[in-house]
Amino acid sequence: MRVSRMFYLYRRLYVQQLKAILEYNKDFYILMCSAALTQVLGFVFLWVIYDRIPDINGWQFWEVTFMYAMIFVTEGVGSLFFEGTWRMGRLVNMGEMDRYLLRPVPVVLQVFCTGIGINGLGNLLIGGVIIWQSLVHGHIHWTLGKISIILLLLLTAVIIRVSINLAANSAAFWIKNAGNAFPLMVHNLADLAKYPLTLFPQAIRVFVSTVLPYAFISFYPATYVFGKSEWSGWWMLAPVAALGSAAAAYGIFRFGLSRYESTGN
Amino acid sequence: MSAIQIKKYRSIANRSLQNVLAYRTSYVINFLANAVNLLAIYFLWQGIYSGRAEVGGYSWDQMKTYLLVTFLANSVLSWYSETSISGKILDGSVAVDLLKPIDFQTARFSETLGASLLEGGMSAILLILFASFLSGITLPHSLFVYVLFALSLLGAILVKFGVVYLAALLCFWSTGSMGIVWTRIAVTNLLSGALVPLAFFPDWLERLALWLPFQSIIHTPTMIFLQQTGTMESLKLIGLQAFWGIALWIAGKGMWNWAVRQVTIHGG
Repeated sequence: MRVSRMFYLYRRLYVQQLKAILEYNKDFYILMCSAALTQVLGFVFLWVIYDRIPDINGWQFWEVTFMYAMIFVTEGVGSLFFEGTWRMGRLVNMGEMDRYLLRPVPVVLQVFCTGIGINGLGNLLIGGVIIWQSLVHGHIHWTLGKISIILLLLLTAVIIRVSINLAANSAAFWIKNAGNAFPLMVHNLADLAKYPLTLFPQAIRVFVSTVLPYAFISFYPATYVFGKSEWSGWWMLAPVAALGSAAAAYGIFRFGLSRYESTGN
Repeated sequence: MSAIQIKKYRSIANRSLQNVLAYRTSYVINFLANAVNLLAIYFLWQGIYSGRAEVGGYSWDQMKTYLLVTFLANSVLSWYSETSISGKILDGSVAVDLLKPIDFQTARFSETLGASLLEGGMSAILLILFASFLSGITLPHSLFVYVLFALSLLGAILVKFGVVYLAALLCFWSTGSMGIVWTRIAVTNLLSGALVPLAFFPDWLERLALWLPFQSIIHTPTMIFLQQTGTMESLKLIGLQAFWGIALWIAGKGMWNWAVRQVTIHGG
């Protein structure tokens, strides 16, 4: 299937979902505000701490807020455009995946469009403001190259985040249990990447750089953006991590799908 | 309340305790997820304290203790009880509860208490194991402090239930619970002292937090366990918990009476 056709189908499926959620508009606002509030309060937490001390292990306030916001922004993109991954447990347990398998449209595309998490809009908004402020306060020497690399790192961050979501939620093919405790746990592990990696012991550093490469969403981009010389060059691994996690996630998803038994009623 | 009445609610509490046992995998995974969070926060604080003897009036040893007590106080009232109340309202099964000769609020409180007993007990055991690996945890020496601490944990459950219940009743007016739950968690975490001790706040925010009920949930138990308050002061804080618990209970009752008239039942 051609890429342009994929985008066309994605847009059509997405718009249908959008109509559905606009039906319940009270929820729409509550979700958006709650996501924004959660993030603002996390920001207040950092602000309260930095009010007392000048730096943590050599990391300044705006450097840490950048990492923090990167985790939230990618989460926002994930829920706004790829929320369907979180519905996979339901799709598998209720046997609703049958419908998707019959259509001549890639299954993974249909899974992505199974829902929209409007809370993502709140995350994007507040996270965007925090990132922008971090960049303004970060004393950065701007060049065209730097801007394009930052954009590339944003893209790879989103790819990594969505891939991890897809892979973790594919657990639904194996764990026959309603509820998504396992993907939620994987999701929570992103907490380890909200703060500078140097705070953590070696084992955790390796874990969030390889098995679940959350550090390539927040920490390594931050080392590049703020020019931390002892980490120079590490950001170049981000595209590798993105490609690797995307391929692994798709592989896990396909493998899970081959085990799909279509139980349900 | 007569003996029969109490028996009724005790069996509800028992049922919810067994429910936790039956769904133990999701409980364990949930607990692990919280532990990850604790780990992240622990190392963040370790970084904050590196090269500093004290921050905001807390030494590193006291802060370690603070984090563990916060974790315990947070895990005695779980995500499970949070979503089960709003779930009942959203899927319409509250209609069945309206027909039962049982007080809705008391029944939900019994459920919460039943689950809390088990979850709190398990968390306590795991925390003691975890704490034995850490050095420098400041434990109180007198037995009396432990008694006060246990009392304050009970008070914390009562107040937290009040907050959770009120938030859950809001679902009568909305069609989803996630937004309300997230907001509730975010506000409670900040104003109860679960993120940072209230002493870290700027003056105005600290004063505001102390005026609100949230501080009873985390601030009070930690203050008592860290012995930052005298006996009289501790008893006063526990009295304050009782006040908030009762006030929120009455507010919940009032809101319920008003909300059931709004009920729309979908489904079938």
